[in-house]
Amino acid sequence: MSCLPTADKLRDLNERYLAFSEISPSLEEAQGYPPPFHFSAKDNLCAKGFQARAGSRILEGYRPPFDATPVAKLRAAGGVLLGKTNMDEFGFGTFCTNSGYGIPRNPFDLERACGGSSGGAAAAACMLDGHIALGVSTGGSISCPASFCGVFGLTPTYGRISRYGLIDYGNSLDKVGLLVRRSEDLRRFLPIISGADPKDPTSCAQPPLRLERKSIRTVAVPKQALQNLSPEVEEGFEHALGRLEEQGVEIMQVDMPSLRFALSAYYVLATSEASTNLARYCGMRFGVRGGSISQHYNDFFTEVRSEHFGREAKRRILLGTYARMVGYRDRYYMKALSVRQLVISEYQNVFGRSDLVLTPTMPFVAPRFSEIEKMRPLEAYQADFLTVPPNLAGLPHLSLPCGYADALPMGMQFVAPHWEEGRLLDMAESWSKGFQFRFPEVCR
Amino acid sequence: MKIGLEIHVQLPTRSKLFCSCATSAEEPNSSICPTCLGFPGSRPALNRRALEMGVQIAQYLNCQITPTIWFSRKTYFYPDLPKNFQITQYDSPLGTDGHFHSRGKRIGIWRVHLEEDPGRIKRVGKSGEEVSLIDYNRSGIPLVEIVTAPDMSSPDEARTFITEILVELRHIIGTTASDEQTVRVDANISVGEERVEVKNIQGMRHLERALKFEASRQAKMLEAGVKVVRETRRYDEERKVTLSAREKETEEDYGYIGEPDLGTFDLLKVASVLTTSETPLRMAQRLAGHYVVDFDKAKQIVITSMAMAELFERLAEKVDPELAMTWTLGPISSHWGSIEPRLTEKVIGDVVRVVSQVADREITDSEGRRRISAIAAGECPEDISCAVEDTLLDSLISQYLDEHPNVVKDYASNPKASNAVIGHVMKASKGKYNSQEIVEAVRKEIEKRL
Repeated sequence: MSCLPTADKLRDLNERYLAFSEISPSLEEAQGYPPPFHFSAKDNLCAKGFQARAGSRILEGYRPPFDATPVAKLRAAGGVLLGKTNMDEFGFGTFCTNSGYGIPRNPFDLERACGGSSGGAAAAACMLDGHIALGVSTGGSISCPASFCGVFGLTPTYGRISRYGLIDYGNSLDKVGLLVRRSEDLRRFLPIISGADPKDPTSCAQPPLRLERKSIRTVAVPKQALQNLSPEVEEGFEHALGRLEEQGVEIMQVDMPSLRFALSAYYVLATSEASTNLARYCGMRFGVRGGSISQHYNDFFTEVRSEHFGREAKRRILLGTYARMVGYRDRYYMKALSVRQLVISEYQNVFGRSDLVLTPTMPFVAPRFSEIEKMRPLEAYQADFLTVPPNLAGLPHLSLPCGYADALPMGMQFVAPHWEEGRLLDMAESWSKGFQFRFPEVCR
Repeated sequence: MKIGLEIHVQLPTRSKLFCSCATSAEEPNSSICPTCLGFPGSRPALNRRALEMGVQIAQYLNCQITPTIWFSRKTYFYPDLPKNFQITQYDSPLGTDGHFHSRGKRIGIWRVHLEEDPGRIKRVGKSGEEVSLIDYNRSGIPLVEIVTAPDMSSPDEARTFITEILVELRHIIGTTASDEQTVRVDANISVGEERVEVKNIQGMRHLERALKFEASRQAKMLEAGVKVVRETRRYDEERKVTLSAREKETEEDYGYIGEPDLGTFDLLKVASVLTTSETPLRMAQRLAGHYVVDFDKAKQIVITSMAMAELFERLAEKVDPELAMTWTLGPISSHWGSIEPRLTEKVIGDVVRVVSQVADREITDSEGRRRISAIAAGECPEDISCAVEDTLLDSLISQYLDEHPNVVKDYASNPKASNAVIGHVMKASKGKYNSQEIVEAVRKEIEKRL
């Protein structure tokens, strides 16, 4: 049953869960109501009629005069945009605790995080049956919250979905994707939002989607992915592998040594690009207005940026700026570019022998906020070690619920070769057959 | 003394480098969009024409064309730069290692690359109460940057070089000398060991003045035993001096990274389909070699107009090239303003005939000059062949109108009636006259009869 709340209901719900950072004021007044489907856009996707703040205080008041291409396509397909979903500032985070607009709560447990950075999108998909949540992943920002909130999180190949209208984090890594409760919605909505768009040249090199159904025969599990897992995830993943084998899928263990370097390379590239993308936020043309303009420009923008960027944004600007300076550029930025190539070729090698690569999505289930507070930034970064590699390589991947531990969902993540999203949909459907999905009943 | 230049030339594309905004606009901030204002969520898409023009320039300057290029982000904070980074080219310019011959001297071209122009800052109000206004119409206009080796050894050489290279570039990209504000130059100049950069010099006159001032400033310092510091200076056009802008201990660090939004481009493929017509200076060289005339005179002709150079070549095929030169730079040049707009095949023929008659001593110099000014005034020069031809045109028209009196009658109510005459005359004269001449002659003849 599709759950379509009224605007008032949605606002009530949101007071508890903070999944949305902005809700459409007049849902019921929209023409053709109830609509064929309802959707939300992560707050870094521009949508006319809404602010686009990307979870940052510095973008307070920014109302883009255009729709992001995937938003425009869903609207054109008859969807109604319920609102913008909460996120870590500019996508900088693993738990969605770095938002300038409140911290979303996990629908399974209010004391736990939704995961990041598309935390609001995952929570919305989890709470509202039939809801289509547009998320964005740079280094795992769809997989991670999908895993913590027990929904499907599809991140297509880099370049499959236009990034026009996406507020950039790392342009060579950013990918728009989908978070939904049901596998059939992936097959229905991926073709709608995909396709070449002249407004994003990187979307113009894509081959057509291949969606004819085929069964998945072999799945490779890198042994590097089985380290540093919490006991419940280790057990849940073992159990899931057993279920796959029962379904006739051959599991093979493979060695992928370069995965170890992916995390470092990712943080160098992503922060380098981010530090240039964030340069434009200087209190002048959009978003927050700076203070006195009767001062030196350097003082003017330093004031705005010091006041309105969050801690994590500042940390990543500093990291990224450092990595691209003369003297460090070769040692970090250029080296990270070659590691990326290494990771890609290692995946390609494995795809010569298997249809998909499989790992757990996150090394643990949704953590408590009290646990997150104790983590150092590096520990939080390391939690992404399984979601970062396919993102660095631009490979399509899908996190789906593979089991539950103490009533909390956990996810596993399939990775497919470039442009082979079809294999992920096939896998999602065969896995779903007979699987007991659980969703908290918060929307009635 | 060593001088090297970084020349920025605006490319005359209709739309900007990375968005579809028009490159020409009257009102400040009227030709702008989310992309050239750097709005979050906007994205660049490359203007292919700008890329082609850039490659044509690199090819012309004998550069090695880079097989695969991409763009880079040059990050610095300035209010006229909407994204606080400029999309330019760093690791992979369009071309490298080229050269250009200026007055026989080989000037090395280090690199040619494409980049976006920032907006324009205008300071208004009286001193002490100045306000800065920013116009983003210029933001995103395509620029080609040409970086030379420090191969020029005097301000005069630098001026000659830039004048010559601009003649060629304007021909390649299709602009005129009146667009001089679209050229900006940074000059590196060293009299002794340390070099000084004079930034953002607009216009050729200012370039030579700035260089002369800077050369003598450095020479005086060295003479007095003062060390010249490495720095960036700017040229004050009012006071005609260079002023220190900031000390430059080391290269500024722009933290270049690749621009992921635009992807890579196969320049060999782009270059393979481009053709550039003969440029003015190359034509001057050819004329000087082929017709054995003075290069500077040939250059003077091509710089005035490529059409004049073509007219000269037609003359030089018929008469002694020296005489052709004298007449081109003399009577033809002095009436050029009137001749050029009406330069039809017939007018060219008339001019060639007049000069040939002078060469054959059929008419005197002064009669020749009189006839050239008659041609310039749009009258028929009173030489026989011309008169005969015009009689032919007139008689064809008269004959047709005599045989078809209805045409004149119909013309009074519907001027299209003249089309029948025009068609007939075109056919009967076998393309001897261009359509404009025929239309004009028919109109005159019919109106005489109305």
